[in-house]
Amino acid sequence: MAKITRRSFVGIMAASTTALSMPSIAFGALPRVVVIGGGAGGATAAKYIAKDSKGAVDVTLVEASKRYYTCFFSNLYLGDFRNYGSIGHNYYGLAVNHGVNMVHEWASSVNGAEKKVYLGSGATVSYDKLVISPGIDLKFNSVNGYSPEAQSIMPHAWKSGTQVQLLKNQVKGMKKGGTFVMVPPPNPYRCPPGPYERISMIAHQFKKTNPTAKIVVLDPKNKFSKQGLFMEGWQKHYPGMIEWISADTHGGIKKINTSTMEFETDLDTFKADAASVIPAQHAGRIAMNAGVNKGDWCPIVPTSMQSQADENIYVLGDASIAKSMPKSGFSANSQAKVAANHIRGSLTGSKVFAPRFANTCWSLVATNDGIKVGANYDAKPDKINKTSGFISKTGEDSNLRKATYEESIGWYSGITSDMFS
Amino acid sequence: MKSKFVFFSIIILLLFSNKILADDKALAGADFEYGQHLSGECVTCHNSTGLGQGIPKITGMKTAVFIKKILAYKTKEKKNAVMQMVADRLGEEEINSLALYLSKTK
Repeated sequence: MAKITRRSFVGIMAASTTALSMPSIAFGALPRVVVIGGGAGGATAAKYIAKDSKGAVDVTLVEASKRYYTCFFSNLYLGDFRNYGSIGHNYYGLAVNHGVNMVHEWASSVNGAEKKVYLGSGATVSYDKLVISPGIDLKFNSVNGYSPEAQSIMPHAWKSGTQVQLLKNQVKGMKKGGTFVMVPPPNPYRCPPGPYERISMIAHQFKKTNPTAKIVVLDPKNKFSKQGLFMEGWQKHYPGMIEWISADTHGGIKKINTSTMEFETDLDTFKADAASVIPAQHAGRIAMNAGVNKGDWCPIVPTSMQSQADENIYVLGDASIAKSMPKSGFSANSQAKVAANHIRGSLTGSKVFAPRFANTCWSLVATNDGIKVGANYDAKPDKINKTSGFISKTGEDSNLRKATYEESIGWYSGITSDMFS
Repeated sequence: MKSKFVFFSIIILLLFSNKILADDKALAGADFEYGQHLSGECVTCHNSTGLGQGIPKITGMKTAVFIKKILAYKTKEKKNAVMQMVADRLGEEEINSLALYLSKTK
């Protein structure tokens, strides 16, 4: 048994207090870490803190879903390159292999002063350190005419789950020779190349079953991630099918009408037979609720991923402002390891190493045509700073593109194993 | 009896010190814990269970093999944009620590 240190003594005191304020969940005298959100940031952080502390830290992961469907690779499901089951994962590995306490509930609020998380059931969980990794929530009203109700007609499908299945059904069921309208989100948003990989995968679907269909992209931006690579691929694999219209060209989306399926812009009114609208985004609601946001996103200390508002709270992944690091599953996983090392160091005195961040985003344009962009980052006092990077080149040979696609499959297997087993 | 003990002790000591010297020479600055920490970056892609597809398994790799591969990415002799970027920021201490950790991990 570990000897009683000042820190664990404080832990015991806190546990006793918690036990009195029923209903509550108290896990004993070890230093306690609570992680909210079981995605690429949260699941990784929970695993690494539990694994590397070898039982010296009590880790609780609060995640509403028992089975988690990754947002990354959901586009490949749209294109029939993956089945839906293959992007779903459970948390047994974290619980059984690493002793992570799983709480399948929504976290409803955080009291930073008392270091407590309130759960949907009314129970509370106390923490010494809290990790918030909630991903994104959507600003439905950022597109005039879009709403939570409209998401069943024009799915955003930007949080995986049933929305993606709905979108796929709509793509497959669209009338022959019809028009699919896609509205990508404005910056900054989760997964910068994601909307354009989605366009590629929908085009791939149409090429097989509905070859005279058209895709109109009404972008609120004038440029996008891997633009040259995607446009080259669209021209090569889906000639004449995709029309990408920049913000300057269409002059802004004035209004959408989910009954008539019309998209009104300065340039024209576009009528859709099926559509996907991805609105603007902000940090997941619980981060806003915890008060660690500044505007839509959460400022962090680059060396540790601690919130600038509360040193006992760490914010990971999409919800954080990681400056030049994109909002991606890879980034969240990388940030989680920096935070886990820092948290463990502050709770158990273990060695804290210099932070190292990295990201790579793979996208699939067509069968065996994979592209990628990636970068290394280091922590400057004021921001996470890009130090080097690469991007696939236009005109690459097909063997390299195939190898890039196969590499992305390996990465999916790697990161999901890293998160969940 | 006593001389036999001294003899064997010397033999064991010699063998052991030779081993230490050999490892030290090959893996300057190698630190197992640092290697374990750094490997967090590897296992985002290289499946820690060794069941990856499209990306090779690196756990259990002999130190010399690992170091040779990383250096080949560093000099751009081996072609893979992600690995060239990874290798680019690894110094000798990092490479040796990773080599040590991965060689001892299944």
